[in-house]
Amino acid sequence: MTRREFIEELNALLADLPDKDRLDILSDYTEHFLIGFEKGKSEHEIAEQLGSPKTVAREVWAGYRIHQAQTDASIGNISRAILATVSLGFFNIVFVLGPFMALIGVLIAFYSVAITLLFVPFAFAFFPPLLADISENRLLMLFGCLTSVGLGGMLFIWLLRLTVWLYRQFLRYLQFNVQMIRGK
Amino acid sequence: MLALAAYQDRYGYELVASISEKFHISEGSVYPLLRRLTQEGLFVTYLAESQEGPPRKYYRLTERGRIYMNDLILEWHVFSRGVNQIIEEGLGYDEA
Repeated sequence: MTRREFIEELNALLADLPDKDRLDILSDYTEHFLIGFEKGKSEHEIAEQLGSPKTVAREVWAGYRIHQAQTDASIGNISRAILATVSLGFFNIVFVLGPFMALIGVLIAFYSVAITLLFVPFAFAFFPPLLADISENRLLMLFGCLTSVGLGGMLFIWLLRLTVWLYRQFLRYLQFNVQMIRGK
Repeated sequence: MLALAAYQDRYGYELVASISEKFHISEGSVYPLLRRLTQEGLFVTYLAESQEGPPRKYYRLTERGRIYMNDLILEWHVFSRGVNQIIEEGLGYDEA
């Protein structure tokens, strides 16, 4: 592969990246080719040692997506960051997607509990038959509802904080994964 | 990578060459890594002309980068000492 072929393929693979980043990256590799050439290496040799533009592009994308998810937290951004990291190889399918699914599962379970607790009073209101057994003791019912809503509310607020914290930690973990340089 | 630029600013090609001298890596992966380290504020970059050839992008370790590097080095020493001890104990046990 010649310098032109390498740069053109990389350029095409990074086409959706903001121009500033894309041009910066292309200039890094152009510089690498020029200096290598000065040191007496052929373009083919340099390209071979660099590896395939596809691998380079995947790593660039993973880094970019993670950076985006860090600066602008959203479900879409973290999903793209995870997909980009997973595309780096089989290792990441197991060690990134696995823990992520597990975390999401646990979070959904906790959120369901919180929401259920918050909705207990509504359940009584909409399904009067539920009241049959305890309707004699209105005070007990009132306190029961208050306790349930209180617990649900606390759990919910705590969960929101936990989610934010987990989001950050998971991104750090992604970053750690991407920063490992793989062998040839 | 941080250590390579610790005492002197380096340009990309130099960094790639020193790493690939010691480890078999695909050299193309070094630049994305340098980019991420720069984005995290561990490096700053600047362009400087060279006598021959194109201007080169130099990487300078920031104060934050230095602190991070020292943490990593300490961590590495603790880890490698542990591994060495285990190896020595294992081999010593075999000889006995």
